[in-house]
Amino acid sequence: MTHPVPVPARPDAGPAPVLELAGVVKQYPGEPPVTALAGVDLRIGQGELAAIIGPSGSGKSTLLHVMGTLERPTRGVVRVGGQDTSAMSDTQLSGLRAWRLGFVFQQFFLLDGLSVLDNVANGLLYRGGRAAERRRLAEAAIERVGLGHRAGHRPNQLSGGEQQRTAIARALAGRPALVMADEPTGNLDTTTGASILDLLRELHRDGTTIVVITHDPDVAAAMERHIEIRDGRIIRDTPAGT
Amino acid sequence: MIRRPVRDSGRSRLSRRDLLWVASLGLRSRRVRAALSALGISIGIAAIVGVLGISQSSKTGLLQELGQLGNLLTVQPQSTAFGQPTELPATAEGMVSRIGPVTSVTEIGSIANAYVYRNSVVPASDTSGISLTATDATLPATLGVTVAHGTFLNAATARYPAVVLGAEAASLLGINDLASPTQAWIGGHWFTVVGILNPVELLSQLDSMAFIGFPVAERYFGFDGHPTGLYLRSVPSQVTAVAAVLPATADPANPSIVAVSYPSDILKAEVTAKGAYNGLLLGLGAVALLVGGVGIANVMVVSVLERRSEIGLRRALGATRRHVAEQFLAEAVLLSVLGGLAGVVIGAVATVIYAASQHWSVQIPAVALYGGLGAALVIGAMAGLYPSTRAARLSPTEALRTV
Repeated sequence: MTHPVPVPARPDAGPAPVLELAGVVKQYPGEPPVTALAGVDLRIGQGELAAIIGPSGSGKSTLLHVMGTLERPTRGVVRVGGQDTSAMSDTQLSGLRAWRLGFVFQQFFLLDGLSVLDNVANGLLYRGGRAAERRRLAEAAIERVGLGHRAGHRPNQLSGGEQQRTAIARALAGRPALVMADEPTGNLDTTTGASILDLLRELHRDGTTIVVITHDPDVAAAMERHIEIRDGRIIRDTPAGT
Repeated sequence: MIRRPVRDSGRSRLSRRDLLWVASLGLRSRRVRAALSALGISIGIAAIVGVLGISQSSKTGLLQELGQLGNLLTVQPQSTAFGQPTELPATAEGMVSRIGPVTSVTEIGSIANAYVYRNSVVPASDTSGISLTATDATLPATLGVTVAHGTFLNAATARYPAVVLGAEAASLLGINDLASPTQAWIGGHWFTVVGILNPVELLSQLDSMAFIGFPVAERYFGFDGHPTGLYLRSVPSQVTAVAAVLPATADPANPSIVAVSYPSDILKAEVTAKGAYNGLLLGLGAVALLVGGVGIANVMVVSVLERRSEIGLRRALGATRRHVAEQFLAEAVLLSVLGGLAGVVIGAVATVIYAASQHWSVQIPAVALYGGLGAALVIGAMAGLYPSTRAARLSPTEALRTV
């Protein structure tokens, strides 16, 4: 088994990692097969703010997909909240994503036909329950990312930064155990990108566990823990505070 | 490692209500496209509802007349092989009336040698084609004829020179009403016009007749008491049985010269003729539906391709494959059913307008309404099946990989 990566002593840090990868290999069929991940061991603890850094082609996007249960590893084990996902059905994995994981994408992926509020509430849609309750949680998340005055607007009426805040609110609304952000500032200018990073740090201080995937050293610098990946392997893992 | 149960009962769910909302979202955000692709279904359903509604309304209109005349039978002597007119025995009415299921009988006798004129100065050659006919007071009841002006003959007026004119006969003579006492010149005698009949739909030959009583016919024109026709009604269920025994009953000596006919046959033929094109029109409606279904399938396939990132997003947000399939299937069904609903309304409105213009009561068969919506539902489901399975098969990472 893997050795625990030291995490900062936080009063609310639980003993079990939020996410754990053990010996994860991901190969895509072909001649010869393409190996995107070549044996990754990784633990993300409660309340961490981590960056996975690597150039394009290093396997970091595949890593995000495997961490987010969007893709199954060829070998190895992915545990979310201590649960082994390899034995789970597609339906069970969907439930895991609905309740435990939040995603933020570079392209935002907001639905044009919906208001900011409905887009954020959409993030809770597949948990079921009462629509009014989902809207209430969505409203709280929108306030939290500072978009309260924009709740009724359509995505195409928003700036890029506001769109990304909406997407972050959508990932946060259900208070998932882990938020994964794939190049969250990739489509934004430097100033707006910086404000998004500030928001992520703020959310981290409130206790949200966040993993950011990036090739941008400036983005990585804003994170506490740095996990560097090359050719499908973790080459360096710098814990917070070092 | 010990497995711990996931908190928050981590199942992925999508309630019916949420599903409907999600499905309607796809349509609401592409309104023009949705409306155009539903149009094919609308046209098909409207055609089917309209054809069924209009033909049913017209049928009901005709059947109402048929209901009044369906149990009516006529008995007439046929011409002989040499073309000579024949007549029924004087006893015919009495014998026919004793057939069990016969409810009423009326005899008529044509008076061939007397003509009807407006007054005595009209040239004798100007006969107007009105045929003078002797009958009795039961005629209106047996034939369901109503009197437009005045009264029909009764036991008293049948004994005196009184005449009742058919609708066409009255207009040929220029007699429109009986506001002032009116007389007609018939076979050299003045007859008082006591009544004018309304037109008779099925037995239009009655419209050009002038009716007088048997006693007067005997006295003035030497009528010999042999009827030239019988009208009778029977218990509706026994019409065929009565028709079978009529010839032998009316003229036991020469049953072969007796012709029995059902006036309602004409109406039935008319109903059949009107329905002849229904099959063709319904077929066209069905083709329109099929084309509409293909249109919806086409639009949905394009939609799945265009909305890959939405599918990927939904999978990331926790939608199962089934939820994605349900969303696209529900969208196709919703599109089709909305189109069908519009089609039902269009078809019903067309029926109402057409029926009103024909003075029919509006009759839209319930099966056209339910069937129309049901067909739209089934077609939508079939059209959505392939696109929705395609959407569900898309892997989340593939769907999220944009351009």
